[in-house]
Amino acid sequence: MNIISVGVNHKTAPIEIRERIALSEVQNKEFITDLISSGLAHEAMVLSTCNRTELYVVPAIAEVTGEYLKEYLIAYKDARKEVRPEHFFSRFYCGTARHLFEVASAIDSLILGEGQILGQVKEAYRIAAEVQAAGILITRLCHTAFSVAKKVKTKTKIMEGAVSVSYAAVELAQKIFSNLSMKKILLIGAGETGELAAKHMCQKNARNIVITNRTLSKAEALAEELGTGKVLPFDGYKEHLHEFDIIITAVSTKDYILKEAEMHQSMQKRRLKPVIILDLGLPRNVDPDISKLQNMFLKDIDALKHIIDKNLERRRAELPKVQTIIEEELISFGQWINTLKVRPTIVDLQSKFIEIKEKELERYRYKVSEEELRRMEHLTDRILKKILHHPIKMLKAPIDTSDTIPSRVNLVRNIFDLEEPNQ
Amino acid sequence: MDHFLHSNIALFVLIQLVSLLYIVTTLLYGAHFFMENKPAGRYKQPALALTVLSHVVYLGLLTSLEGYKLSYSTFNIMSMVALTLAITYIFIEFTTKSDKTGFFVLSFSAGAQIISSIFTAQSSGSGPAFSGFGIGVHLIAAIFGFSAIAIAGLYSILYLLLFRQIQKNRFELLFQRLPSLEVLERLTMHAVAFGFIFLSITLFAGIIEQKASGETIRLFEPRLISLIVIWIIYGASIFVRPITGWDLKHMAYLFIALFIFITALILLMTIFSPSFHGLVLEYAQRYFKGAYI
Repeated sequence: MNIISVGVNHKTAPIEIRERIALSEVQNKEFITDLISSGLAHEAMVLSTCNRTELYVVPAIAEVTGEYLKEYLIAYKDARKEVRPEHFFSRFYCGTARHLFEVASAIDSLILGEGQILGQVKEAYRIAAEVQAAGILITRLCHTAFSVAKKVKTKTKIMEGAVSVSYAAVELAQKIFSNLSMKKILLIGAGETGELAAKHMCQKNARNIVITNRTLSKAEALAEELGTGKVLPFDGYKEHLHEFDIIITAVSTKDYILKEAEMHQSMQKRRLKPVIILDLGLPRNVDPDISKLQNMFLKDIDALKHIIDKNLERRRAELPKVQTIIEEELISFGQWINTLKVRPTIVDLQSKFIEIKEKELERYRYKVSEEELRRMEHLTDRILKKILHHPIKMLKAPIDTSDTIPSRVNLVRNIFDLEEPNQ
Repeated sequence: MDHFLHSNIALFVLIQLVSLLYIVTTLLYGAHFFMENKPAGRYKQPALALTVLSHVVYLGLLTSLEGYKLSYSTFNIMSMVALTLAITYIFIEFTTKSDKTGFFVLSFSAGAQIISSIFTAQSSGSGPAFSGFGIGVHLIAAIFGFSAIAIAGLYSILYLLLFRQIQKNRFELLFQRLPSLEVLERLTMHAVAFGFIFLSITLFAGIIEQKASGETIRLFEPRLISLIVIWIIYGASIFVRPITGWDLKHMAYLFIALFIFITALILLMTIFSPSFHGLVLEYAQRYFKGAYI
């Protein structure tokens, strides 16, 4: 029983190709249902995110290969003009398992250690299970991948530290102020960047967020969404600068919106209590000379990228630990797959002995009492269990290569005179 | 002259053990802080508890030589400073839930204890012991006062290091591991507040005790002058800061300077004058003549 994975991701294809081949949830269900119902696959799953579209297939016939599945997906998406098989990767057997484990652990992600991918893998499995396309192999593969991801998350630091500018801003703020819930925050600009930073602040218990924006209604809408409900008119916020411990700016402007003289005055009013200004605008929104003021921490995007770089460096240093976890799980997954190959022989062996037992007991059915028969049955069950223990253990024992499986199976079949299994 | 440690094997073993435990505990805290060593993280707190417990037993045994009265030799006081620092650190770790500054505080504790052990091993007695409520309060308050000065100095160093890393965009080890600037500032200012309280008690208990005993005190004794100077600076930083808005960055330099100064002073006087103030001059003379043996 093989398991094949093919797909495009950020390592194999540019974004326009990934966009072209991506499957929506409806298409995903339709695609895997087609694969199963047409008798091409026993099991199938599709993982489709913004960075990847990957198929995991247990083929039902020998003709279904990696190349076949690539063409099948391209044809399904009617993308022959743009997408070529060279844009795809393909993996087989344990290579597929390793790939999914790496994907679920977020070490195959565009941003190393990002936290969303595990949820996306779980979603892909849910869809496959819903359309009954996830059988024993994909179910086991996915559950092992979830377990790998959990171990990686708890035993390594691959997911620690901010790797986005807005989250790095929050991480920095937390290194200056211990408790963000006690701090007053001013958000200048209610655009996408500002909104993201404000949401990250809220996740870290910041409650006192005041928003100002050129279009007041946009500020009000964001304030409502965040649950703070506090806004300031854009032409009057400078009079209140001294009240804020953290100022986040993310507006589109040619000129600096905060100048040195204004902040100097504000710092005097604050009696030099520390202030962080997080300038997330491009071009910069804040006069760089402000950083010379006492107890003033002014950080722009470049400074925050230093935090991101350091965090990514630390995450990369965790990669060997992650690979070790994956290796361990891969070995046990490989051994489990091998047990699938010996399972028919184990079933045949048990059936044969049960048949012998029942025949022998049948001879005594009317010669002994019911109680004695029950005892004899109990005794023979125990004897059979002990006799079969070692051959079954030997069949299930870990092996280095799958080549030794047929020889073990043949040995047991010959010794116990089992019939050849149905192919 | 037979060394007092030679006649007391338990004390001899304990003094070595306590120093060793301080070194081990500091190394465990260091391994956890710098290398994130998991076993070190697991064993550091039990090691600290064992160190403190052994130290208490050691001091109990040492003071038992003088009928459980506090010994007034500088090196014994160094040992008590090491203990109070360790205990204060346990309190800090417990209240702030942050175990990231242990290496720095305990390094100083270990240093103080090792110096104390060396000088104790070289001296011929456990030092003159004093009885009486006033002198006891004076001594204990002085020890806690110095511990507060040490903690204020150490946390000021950490504050400045973190402050510089943030200012220079060098988001390295200290940025990752140390608590926030606000926490370090709070710890420093709490240490300063406690330091001020204990130094006040030290001064007043000293004055009361001096009046009661009728003995003269050398007003120009360096430790006394230092004590008063630090007391004034600490008091000013507590009471003036909220009014004028002194920022901790500049105050931190002052606290570090005071910490280095008082530590150096105690060390130098430990080496060259193992007695405190002029009060113990007489005891010291008798002590060095072997009158205490």
